[in-house]
Amino acid sequence: MKRAELWVGLALVTAVVAMALVSFVWTPFDATAVGSGPRLQSPGLPHVLGTDHMGIDIFSRILVGARSALYVGIIAVGIAALVGVPLGILAAWLPRWGAEAMMRATDVAYAFPALLLAILLAAVFGASTETAMVAIGIATIPAFIRVTRAGALSVLASDYVLAARAAGTPAPAIAVRHVLPNVAHLIGVQASVSFAMAILAEAALSYLGLGTPPTVPSWGRMLGDAQTYLFGHPTQALWPGLAIAAAVLGFNLVGDGLRDFLDPKLREVA
Amino acid sequence: MAKSTALQSGARARLRTLSVLVAAVALALTACTGAGQQAPAPSGAPTAGATSAAPAPAPEETRTLVIGATAEPQTLDPTATDAAAGPQALLYNVYETLVRLDAAGDLKPLLAQAWDVTPDRLTYTFRLNPAAQFSDGTPVDAEAVAKNIERIQTGTTAPKLKNQMEVVVGTEVVDATTLDVTLSRPSVTWLFDMAGAAGIVMNPEGFDAAGSETAGSGPLTLDRWTPGDSIALKRNDAYWGTPARFDEVTFRYFKDPNAMNASMLSGQLDIISNLQAPETIDQFSDEGRFTIIEGSTEGEVTMAINNGAAPEGVPAGTGNPALQDVRVRKAITMAIDRRALLDTVWHGKGTLIGSMSVPTDPYYEDLADLHPYDPEEAKRLLAEAGHENLTLRLRPPTLPYATKAAQFIASQLGAVGITVQVEELQFPRQWIDTAMTNADYDLTIVSHVEPRDVATYANPAYYWRYDNPAVQEAVRKAGEGTIEEYTTEMRNAARIIAEDAASVWLFALPNLVVTKEGVTGVAENANSSLSFDVTTIAKA
Repeated sequence: MKRAELWVGLALVTAVVAMALVSFVWTPFDATAVGSGPRLQSPGLPHVLGTDHMGIDIFSRILVGARSALYVGIIAVGIAALVGVPLGILAAWLPRWGAEAMMRATDVAYAFPALLLAILLAAVFGASTETAMVAIGIATIPAFIRVTRAGALSVLASDYVLAARAAGTPAPAIAVRHVLPNVAHLIGVQASVSFAMAILAEAALSYLGLGTPPTVPSWGRMLGDAQTYLFGHPTQALWPGLAIAAAVLGFNLVGDGLRDFLDPKLREVA
Repeated sequence: MAKSTALQSGARARLRTLSVLVAAVALALTACTGAGQQAPAPSGAPTAGATSAAPAPAPEETRTLVIGATAEPQTLDPTATDAAAGPQALLYNVYETLVRLDAAGDLKPLLAQAWDVTPDRLTYTFRLNPAAQFSDGTPVDAEAVAKNIERIQTGTTAPKLKNQMEVVVGTEVVDATTLDVTLSRPSVTWLFDMAGAAGIVMNPEGFDAAGSETAGSGPLTLDRWTPGDSIALKRNDAYWGTPARFDEVTFRYFKDPNAMNASMLSGQLDIISNLQAPETIDQFSDEGRFTIIEGSTEGEVTMAINNGAAPEGVPAGTGNPALQDVRVRKAITMAIDRRALLDTVWHGKGTLIGSMSVPTDPYYEDLADLHPYDPEEAKRLLAEAGHENLTLRLRPPTLPYATKAAQFIASQLGAVGITVQVEELQFPRQWIDTAMTNADYDLTIVSHVEPRDVATYANPAYYWRYDNPAVQEAVRKAGEGTIEEYTTEMRNAARIIAEDAASVWLFALPNLVVTKEGVTGVAENANSSLSFDVTTIAKA
């Protein structure tokens, strides 16, 4: 059962990645040139998913849109992991009062909604894909700090770390050699789940017109554009909606499955 | 270890919730539009809407009219800001002026029964209607009118109105119903402006509280203002003229065009004052239930080009220097298929124009084909100007029509070799700061709804940053000349800026009004007074 979850997740993620990769070499139609077909066509041939209000092939836009989604996910999770993991290990190392202070600060940051932060940044630095990625990345840092610290605490209490310490191994070496490999599975799970959240956040920001600029195909922007046609042409909103749902579901299932797979204790229980 | 397990099970529970959320995502996101729109219109909120929809006639049936509108006033004083929302709801309905504009755009008596102008066109004598009185019963006398003119000039009123009133050098109260107004120079536009927000005659007793209470002489008075939702007006029982046909008139405000449409379809509205999403117009195609009125407005959807002038006293601006070359501006104009753009952005409704002038302007000249769509010629012009690899920043406000147009234009300019970077600016604050105040843009798109705004091209500090003495001269002469000279000079100015390709005028905004069956008398065209005049409207 758990294994099936992982496989479904992997299949969805692979599909999204494949769409993005394929879009670099081939799309059925130009995904940005306006007027490449009649406007607001229903699904059929040659436009399998129809055309949007600009006469652009929706399938082509969905393919290229996968790039924006993955791009934002990778950079945002990258920022969060690069900052969050070292801080998490540090928090496990600090004396009690230091760790407490850091974790309370993390809680405060965790409570701050990612979307609000993104809207603030967009207001200050202008709306762009980059602003959205940085905002989502910053907002995801606390999750990584928490997960890493929890894992690192148990590693630091283990006999082999005590032995390494007694042997005089410097702290950074212990962190890299012992702690990091032993919390990697936790980080992997967190990354997968955060990836899903980042895709959703990017879609929401683009839907609001605060993310990816209008000329770059993005699923959230496609949803936003489809809004006014909802009554006359409901399929306009269906395809990007399904694409977002599939990507988010895929990464969540992968995260879920990975955790069960990597954690022997949970595997035994299941 | 116990700690970390607890954390993991917490995370696990969160994941479960998330999975459920995710499963619903496709629905939720697509339904966002549906559900999201219902939100600003809580079912129980507007009593007026409910009464109009109620089938059972009350013993004393109240006659109501509910109008759906987009922009909401930030204050109840229509003279305090340039925003069109104040006059839309209040002018002619609650506040009256000496003269009014009728549906055809002609001047008609209102508070003034008659007026004369001296042959030198410097002194106007207004004879007020002796019956006219404010809603509290005080008469509208010459003294009150004079105080209102002074208030526009010296009070905390909108710069645009001060500008319109600047030509007045003095008022003289001859007797209670006769007022002389002296101008410093002849003006063709002043009396027209007096029919708009600048000419509002407010009860001087109400000056101080004008932002939150009304003090007018019109057929309706304020009943209730609910910011974020509606303005409810009620019948002024003491009205001096033809009484209002309605006991209650409500303007309900919708940020989302779909929400407004849904309210109209469900019978909560009698009128949509101006349909903001023309692609949704087919929802009202049932002729037995709705009437669609397609008129004109004073609005031009314009792609501003930063022409690069930097007069003293304003921020220098950051326009690409290539845009100072008329060949480049012409090339940009000719690279855009405006007919296709109108189809895409505004559902083909509206008129193609070639300058900052709409067909209802007295000086209108059809220049739509002056720079026709011709990508090859555009490429040639760019090559001639030496700008074959141009990169421009197109910074549209975050408004649906602007971003759609931006996407369209970026694609078309790309086809002639201009790389366009689209960067949206949050509207209104960020757009006004960046584009309008600091001229920090190469291209931007916005609709200009002010009447006769070709005059803005005579101001080099305006965000077009367009400095052309010939236009400045023409606009100056137009303001001081006779009505014939005004027409000639304004037409001249409109032609010069068109030949200069100072901006790209994408299209003239249509006035798309939807009325419920039985509602009559709604003006077809939105005129320069900006008023949504309910005094002419009747409901069967």
